[in-house]
Amino acid sequence: MDWNNFYDKLLNFGPFLEHSNEIWSGFLATIRLSAMAAVLALVLGTLLAAMRVSPVSVMRATATMYVNTLRNTPLTLILLFCGLGLRDTLGFMAQAAPTVSGYWLAVAGLSAYTAAFVCETLRSGINTVPIGQAEAARSVGLPFSQSLRLVILPQAFRAVIAPLGSVLIAMIKNTSVALVAGYFEATATMKQLFDDVGATVPLFFGFAIGYMILTLPTGLLFGWLAKRMAVTR
Amino acid sequence: MMDSAPAVKAVAANGNDAPLVELKNVNKYFGSVHVLKDIDLVVRRGEVVVVIGPSGGGKSTLCRTINRLESIDEGTILIDGQPLPIEGKALARLRSEVGMVFQSFNLFAHKTILQNVTLGPTKVLKLSKAQAKEEAMRLLERVGIAHQAEKYPAQLSGGQQQRVAIARALAMHPKVMLFDEPTSALDPEMIKEVLDVMTDLAREGMTMVVVTHEMGFARNAANRIVFIADGQIVEENTPEEFFTNAQSERAKDFLSKILVH
Amino acid sequence: MRIRQPRKQQGSVLFDAPGPRARWLNRVLGVVTAIVVLGVVGLFVWQLDRKGQWAWALWEPFTEAKVWQSFILPGLKNTLSAAVVAAALALGFGVIFGFGRLSERRWIRMPCGAAVEFFRAIPVLIMIFFAQAGPPVIADAFNRSIEPISAFEAVVIGLTLYNGSVFVEIFRAGIRAIPAGQAEAGYAIGLRKSAVMLRILLPQAVTTMMPVIVSQVVVLLKDSALGYVIAYEDLLNAGFVQIKSNFNNLIPAAIVITGIYVAINLTVSYLAGWLERRSRRSRKSAAVPLPADASALLATPFSKGPSI
Ligand SMILES: Nc1ncnc2c1ncn2[C@@H]1O[C@H](COP(=O)(O)OP(=O)(O)O)[C@@H](O)[C@H]1O
Ligand SMILES: [Mg+2]
Repeated sequence: MDWNNFYDKLLNFGPFLEHSNEIWSGFLATIRLSAMAAVLALVLGTLLAAMRVSPVSVMRATATMYVNTLRNTPLTLILLFCGLGLRDTLGFMAQAAPTVSGYWLAVAGLSAYTAAFVCETLRSGINTVPIGQAEAARSVGLPFSQSLRLVILPQAFRAVIAPLGSVLIAMIKNTSVALVAGYFEATATMKQLFDDVGATVPLFFGFAIGYMILTLPTGLLFGWLAKRMAVTR
Repeated sequence: MMDSAPAVKAVAANGNDAPLVELKNVNKYFGSVHVLKDIDLVVRRGEVVVVIGPSGGGKSTLCRTINRLESIDEGTILIDGQPLPIEGKALARLRSEVGMVFQSFNLFAHKTILQNVTLGPTKVLKLSKAQAKEEAMRLLERVGIAHQAEKYPAQLSGGQQQRVAIARALAMHPKVMLFDEPTSALDPEMIKEVLDVMTDLAREGMTMVVVTHEMGFARNAANRIVFIADGQIVEENTPEEFFTNAQSERAKDFLSKILVH
Repeated sequence: MRIRQPRKQQGSVLFDAPGPRARWLNRVLGVVTAIVVLGVVGLFVWQLDRKGQWAWALWEPFTEAKVWQSFILPGLKNTLSAAVVAAALALGFGVIFGFGRLSERRWIRMPCGAAVEFFRAIPVLIMIFFAQAGPPVIADAFNRSIEPISAFEAVVIGLTLYNGSVFVEIFRAGIRAIPAGQAEAGYAIGLRKSAVMLRILLPQAVTTMMPVIVSQVVVLLKDSALGYVIAYEDLLNAGFVQIKSNFNNLIPAAIVITGIYVAINLTVSYLAGWLERRSRRSRKSAAVPLPADASALLATPFSKGPSI
């Protein structure tokens, strides 16, 4: 038994610390992608949800089609299409520096994909509000905009916190796929270190812990918020 | 159950008998189901009309057309002489003048009892917060819930919630109150506390349309009974006549099923 | 007379029955939306045209049986076999670790819980990378050497660990959704804990869990495309690498491949919805089914899923 080798492969966090700069910038890139994609997905998802619950059939059909397509397509395909299709074939952002175009293409693909889930989450949040609440609001004489603003949306919002947290966490994990769009983030960094210094157990766990630092507090925060704001019926 | 009937009716008899709610030839379909058939009904100011009839007969639908929670396909509905607006601000204003109490209370689940009662007055009637609160507390006092004003609906019993719902509707100073089976979702021991509030309201001259299965209330508080079955008004009568000497076979049949126990 | 249900949710929570003005407004909004959508689609189509992507030569390969036989179908077969094997293993993982997490013994419950929370908290792709590159390194630490892990194996391992952990939670949520009275009735007639679990809770929970399990299979199917990253020759690879390098037609290939993925996943999603509706009607379980879309919540670390 070669104990040095054993230590290096299974226990030595040395390489992880030696490359801490690269790893740090990898996770920074993950965070930058997550933040921007989260904002855009929320905006687009809200718009889609509004369309999906609207009384305008063209809007409903459009949003439904979008959601059904995006939700049922692998994210890998979408991000790959952003890189190989939009940029390399159609020339979208082809002039930009690769790091810049990689970022924005990853943002586009990830937020387009996540928006479909945001939309469905918001829609089912609205559906958790019993119709009697809306009828009561109307009976009191609140016009449409006020029933929406004062009665329905506040209740829907509370119901939506936990599931939106899930969507956000799934999205953070999904940033790992952005490497196929040519964006270099934490997972790409891990892959490179695997190739350069070997796929040691400490290296893997180091990255896993990095992701857990991003996902677990987010999960706890949303769980706590959801519990605090829950509407008891 | 209650023995104050004569007093109630005296008020109504003295009241102005101008029609407050008028339904003329109202027809309503749910898809191919004809749920309201040629309904003609007049409710005068200060009158208490109790609507009874078998389940599925169209009582709720009738009640809900009066503030247009359900739209109608034919006919006209007048409130205080004005046709019921179809949409928009005008409809919202009209609804603020028609109080509605639901079977399942429908208190705003995310607001306290006090906020439930003040929401309409502050947002629709544009009262100041202080004014709305003062009036709300007065109404809550009246229905016996003032000490629970800071609680949330889910913390109250069904009977208490329904009384709050009545206070919420009263806070808008409605011309007429609609009740759609207000006690049907309540445990038996809570029914009386709600009926008492309603009986008081009737005695004070509030115009009311009440869908209910509480025959005691119907006997004591109603000026008129409207019996609805299969979407039609089968019989309209005074309570005494209706309960002792119903004219139609449908009503007799219905009463025999209900009054046996 | 008080046992009447409130009227069932029907119509829109948000909107009144429209009057003439609302109908007019809706029509205008409909037309505007249609114009915007057609504009966006038209812009995309026009851009494709500018880049010559509508040339028949690029689309023609998809009318040839040979292209389907040598690229698409083998790719599809690899995608499906990775998904099916991973789904089966994940179910096994889910059952074993699920029982583990429900165990009364701390030393079983804790590690099972830790594993599940770990796998739910990290991206599948880093598991796949490590599943491929890690085992030889670990073997080397013990002075052994093993065959390299194939792309197929790496994908299956990654998918199994992640989806298995989600199945654990589906399983727990399914058991939890059975009303307490069922277990109590079991104990009352003298059954032991294991018998209550096997004979009373599990059979009912299966009905409850089916819709979520099936909809998690959609997630698994989509994630199988991660195999592309480690050069697994799946459907995605067939379109974006093999067909493209033969015919230089990335856009048409992407569109066809997307169509296939969407068709498969829509079918499975539909199945999940159908199962949900069916088990809602079914009288064979005392619990309502977990909604098919609960899997997202159950994939979240520290989440116990929907409260029913
Ligand atoms: N929203 C609805 N959609 C379709 N049918 C309905 C709806 N509401 C009520 N109905 C039908 O209309 C009829 C009358 O219902 P309702 O007014 O609730 O009766 P009641 O209150 O007398 O029990 C019933 O046959 C019922 O099934
Ligand atoms: Mg009814």
